[in-house]
Amino acid sequence: MRRYLAGKVFQALLTLAFVLAFNFFLFRVMPGDPVALLLRGTSALTAETVRDLRRDLGLDQPLPQQFLTYSADTLTGNYGRSLTTGAKVTEEIGSRIWPTVLLVGASTIASAFLGLLIGIHGGWRRGSRFDLGSMGFSLVAYSMPEFWFGILVLLALAGGVGFFPAIFPTGGYQTPGADLTGFAHVVDVLNHMALPWLTLTVAYLGEYALIMRSSILDVMGEDFVTTARAKGLREQQVLWRHTVPNALLPTITLTFLSLGFVFAGAITIEYVFSWPGLGLLTVTAIDEKDFPLLQALFLLFSAAVIVFNLIADLLYAYLDPRVRAG
Amino acid sequence: MARRLPAMIAATLLFAGPTLTTASAQSPTPQDETITFVYGDSSEPSSFSPFKGYLATEFYFWAWSYHLPITFAVDDLGAVPDFVTDTEVSEDGTTFTYTVRDDLVWSDGEPMTAEDMAFTLNIYKEKHAYLPQGYLGLVESVEAPDDTTVVLRTSEPTSLYSGAAPYMYTYILPEHVWSDHADAPKQYENVPSVGSGPFFIAEYERGQFVRMERNPHWTGPEPHIDEMIYRIFNNDDAVAEALKAGEIDFAYIDTPNVFNSLEGEPDIETFVGPIPEFDELAMNAGSAYQEPEGAFEPHGDGHPALTDPVVRRAVRMAINSEELVERVQLGYGVPGDSIIPPVSIAGARWEPSDSERIPWDIEGANQLLEEAGYTDTDGDGVREMPPGSLEPGRPLELRYYTQTNDQNTIDAAPFIRSWLEDIGIRAEVTAMSSGRLGNELNAGTYDLFHWGWIPDPDPDAILSYFQCEQRPPDGRTYGNNDAYYCNPEYDRLYVEQRTTLDPQERLEIIHEMQRIFYEDAAYAVLWYPPTFQAYRTDRFTGYQSQPAPEGDLLSGYSRDVALSLRPVGGEEGAGTSTQARGISAGVWVGIAAGVVVLIVILMLVRRRGVSEDRA
Repeated sequence: MRRYLAGKVFQALLTLAFVLAFNFFLFRVMPGDPVALLLRGTSALTAETVRDLRRDLGLDQPLPQQFLTYSADTLTGNYGRSLTTGAKVTEEIGSRIWPTVLLVGASTIASAFLGLLIGIHGGWRRGSRFDLGSMGFSLVAYSMPEFWFGILVLLALAGGVGFFPAIFPTGGYQTPGADLTGFAHVVDVLNHMALPWLTLTVAYLGEYALIMRSSILDVMGEDFVTTARAKGLREQQVLWRHTVPNALLPTITLTFLSLGFVFAGAITIEYVFSWPGLGLLTVTAIDEKDFPLLQALFLLFSAAVIVFNLIADLLYAYLDPRVRAG
Repeated sequence: MARRLPAMIAATLLFAGPTLTTASAQSPTPQDETITFVYGDSSEPSSFSPFKGYLATEFYFWAWSYHLPITFAVDDLGAVPDFVTDTEVSEDGTTFTYTVRDDLVWSDGEPMTAEDMAFTLNIYKEKHAYLPQGYLGLVESVEAPDDTTVVLRTSEPTSLYSGAAPYMYTYILPEHVWSDHADAPKQYENVPSVGSGPFFIAEYERGQFVRMERNPHWTGPEPHIDEMIYRIFNNDDAVAEALKAGEIDFAYIDTPNVFNSLEGEPDIETFVGPIPEFDELAMNAGSAYQEPEGAFEPHGDGHPALTDPVVRRAVRMAINSEELVERVQLGYGVPGDSIIPPVSIAGARWEPSDSERIPWDIEGANQLLEEAGYTDTDGDGVREMPPGSLEPGRPLELRYYTQTNDQNTIDAAPFIRSWLEDIGIRAEVTAMSSGRLGNELNAGTYDLFHWGWIPDPDPDAILSYFQCEQRPPDGRTYGNNDAYYCNPEYDRLYVEQRTTLDPQERLEIIHEMQRIFYEDAAYAVLWYPPTFQAYRTDRFTGYQSQPAPEGDLLSGYSRDVALSLRPVGGEEGAGTSTQARGISAGVWVGIAAGVVVLIVILMLVRRRGVSEDRA
C-alpha cells in the first residue's frame, strides 16, 4: 500500500513539473506581441512608449532568462504582477477563487446528488416511463451548450418573458452600491447566484445521471445481485445495499474529476452571468494576453485536477482492494 | 415510496408561494436618500491611472473627476476654459502663460493650484504616460511661478497650446497624492482617487462595477445625483436585459441586432449617435520597396502593385461604402472618406468635393487599370502587372486579412472581395486574431487588411500616425503607420500644422493633409460606425448629446452630464436601481428548510425500506 501511495504521489509531482514547463512555453509561442496589442488603437503612441512598456513588463529579456526567473518565482510562490492591473497575481486570484468555489461547488454537489438519484432510479426500473423521461432529459441537458442554456435562463428569469416573471438579477455577485451586510448580504449573494447555479446544475446533471444509470445496469447483471434476490431480500435492499455501493465506483472518479475542475470554474457561465470568478478572470486574461496571470491560473487549474485525481486514485484503492493489488 | 417525491416539492412551493415576490416590491429595506445613476456596458476599464489607461471607458470617470487645462464643449467639442481661464502667448509663439482658477478644492480638502498642473504635465512627459505624453511632444518646460500662473515653453513656435482648441487631453492630478508615486506612477492604481471635479472614484470591483461618490469640496453647480455606478457586463444580451429589468438606467450596446431588440420596449428610449471612429481597408503601400530612412529598413513582401497609387485608387473606386453601411452595419453608421471622422473639433474635418470624391465606379476603376497597363494578358480574369513595372507579368492576387474577433470585418469581406473581382483583382480572405494580424502588419507580410481607429477630437494625433517615421521600422517593432504610407509632402505639412500659430491657417493645412491622404488611398475608409445607446425614460433625464445633436448622451469628453442628470419627477422620484433584486430572505429560508426536510424524508424512506426485513 505504501508503494502504491508513493508511486501515485510521484506521478502527480512529475505531471505537475511538466505542466510548469509547458505552461511557460505555451504562452510564449502564442502569436501576438502583448505590447503591440496593449497599445493598438490608442493615440500618442511612439516607439519610445513601446520600449518603455516592454522594459516595464520584463519582456526585453531573452527567453531562457525569462524561464529561469519564472521557475524560481513559481517555486517561491512569487507569481509576479498582472500586466493589465499591476496587482499581484496571487491577490487577483485570491479575490476570485471563492465566488467560483461557491458557485461551481454548490452546483456540483446539487447536480451529483440529483443526477445520481435520477440515474439510480432510472437504471433500476429500466424502460419505465420515469427512465425514458429522465434519459431524454439527461441527454438533452448533457449535450446542450451551457452558455446557450444560460442565455435562455437569463432572458426568461432575469428579464422576464411571457408568463415567467423577472425575478432574479441579470448578473454579478452582489448589488453594487447597496452596501448590504450580514444576513441581507448572504441573501443578496444567493439571489445573484440563483440563475448561474440553476444553469450549471442542469448542465452537469445529465452526465451524472447517464453514467450512474449505465453503471447500475452493469451491476444489476452481476451474480451477487441474483444471489441477493435469491436470498429473498426486498428490492429496496438489493438496490441500496448491494447494487448502489458497487455501481458508485465509476462515479467516484467522475465526481472527483469534476471537483478538480471546480477551480477552472464554468468559464462560459461565469461569462454570461458576469460572475466574478476564476473563469471570468481567465477570459479577461486571455483577451488581454496577461501572461503572468494566465500562467498562474493554468498552473492552479492543472494542479487542482492533478490533486483531485490523486485523491480519487487513493480513495479508489481504499474502496476497492483489487486496485491496490493490481 | 419514491412517487411521493413530486408531491413533496409541490408542498414546499405551496408553502413558499405567498412570499414569492421580488424584493423590490416588498416593504423597502432601509433606504436612505442616496440618488444613484447606474449605467452599463460590456467593457472593462483598462486602468484608472491616466498614466496608463487607454480605453474610452475610463475617460468617463476621468471626465467626471478631473479638470483639463481646456475642456471640450458639449455641443461641438470646441474649446471651453476649464482649469485654465486665460492664456497669453509670447510673440515668438514658444511661451504660453496660463492663468488658472483658484477656487477649486480636491476631494480630500486640499486646494488645487497652478503647482498641480505644472507637476502633472512634467511627470506625464518625464515618466512617459502612454496617452498624455503624445500631447507634450513640443513641450520643453512647465513651471508654476505662483499659485495661479503656469508657464509652458516649447522647443518650436506652435499654436497647439494657445487654448484655441482643447489640444492638451491631459487630466490634471493632485500633486500631494501623486508625488508619493512619482518614481513609478504607472504602478499606482488610483482607486480611490482624489479628484477636483464633482465626483471621485470611490470603489472598483473588477468585472463587476465602478462606483463614484460626490466630491464634498466641489464648489461648482450642485449635481442632482449623489452617486454614479458603472456596471460591467460581458455581453450585450445581459446589458439589454438589465436595462429592461430596470437594474440599470442607461446602456451602451455594441451590436446592431441587440440594439434593435430594445426598440419599442416600454419605458426605453433608443438612440444612435456617431462617435469619432472609422473602419478602414488598408493597403500595403510598399513596406518591401521603400528606401531605407532613419530607423526604417525595407521589409516584408507586400504586393508590388499596391505601391502604385493608381492601383490603390482603383481599389477604393471598387468599394461601395453605402452598400457596406446598409448590409454590414444594418443601416447605422455613415459611409467613410477622410481619416478625420464627422465627430471631431469644429472645422477639422475635410470632405471631398464632388470633383475630388473617388466615387464607386467599377467601370471607371477598370478603365484606370487598363490605361495604366494592368491588363489581363492570359484571359484568366485576373490582371497582370505591366512591362517595366516592379514585377512585370505578376497577377494581381492579394492577401486580404480580417479579424476573428471583429464580426464587421468578416461580414464586409465577401462584398469587397467580389467587387475586387469585378475589376480583375483576386483577393484571398483569411481571418485571424487581432494579435496575429498585428504581427503581420509589423512584418509587412500582408496586402490588404480591415481594422479601425478611434481618433481624438483634435486631429493632431491621428494625422501624426501616417508620417514616414511612424512606419513599423524593422519587421518586429510596432509602428502606427500600418499601411507604410510615406509621402514627404504630407510629413512637411504635418510639421507645419503643428507649428502654425494661426488656428484657421492650421485647419487649412489639416484639410490639405486629409486631401492628400485620401488621394493617395493607402486607406480606403469604409465607414464611420455609430455608438448605440438606450436609456429608461422613467428614471433619469438631463442627458446631453456630445456633440449635439446626436452624439454621446453621457458627454464622454466633459463633465456636463454629471451636472445635468436628474431623476425624472424631482429628487423624490429617484431610481431604484441599487435596490437588491431577487426573492426575499424568508423564501430562501423556506427553500433551505424544504431541502433539509426532503433529504431527511428520503433517508428515512430508504432506511425503512432497507431495514424492514431485518426486523
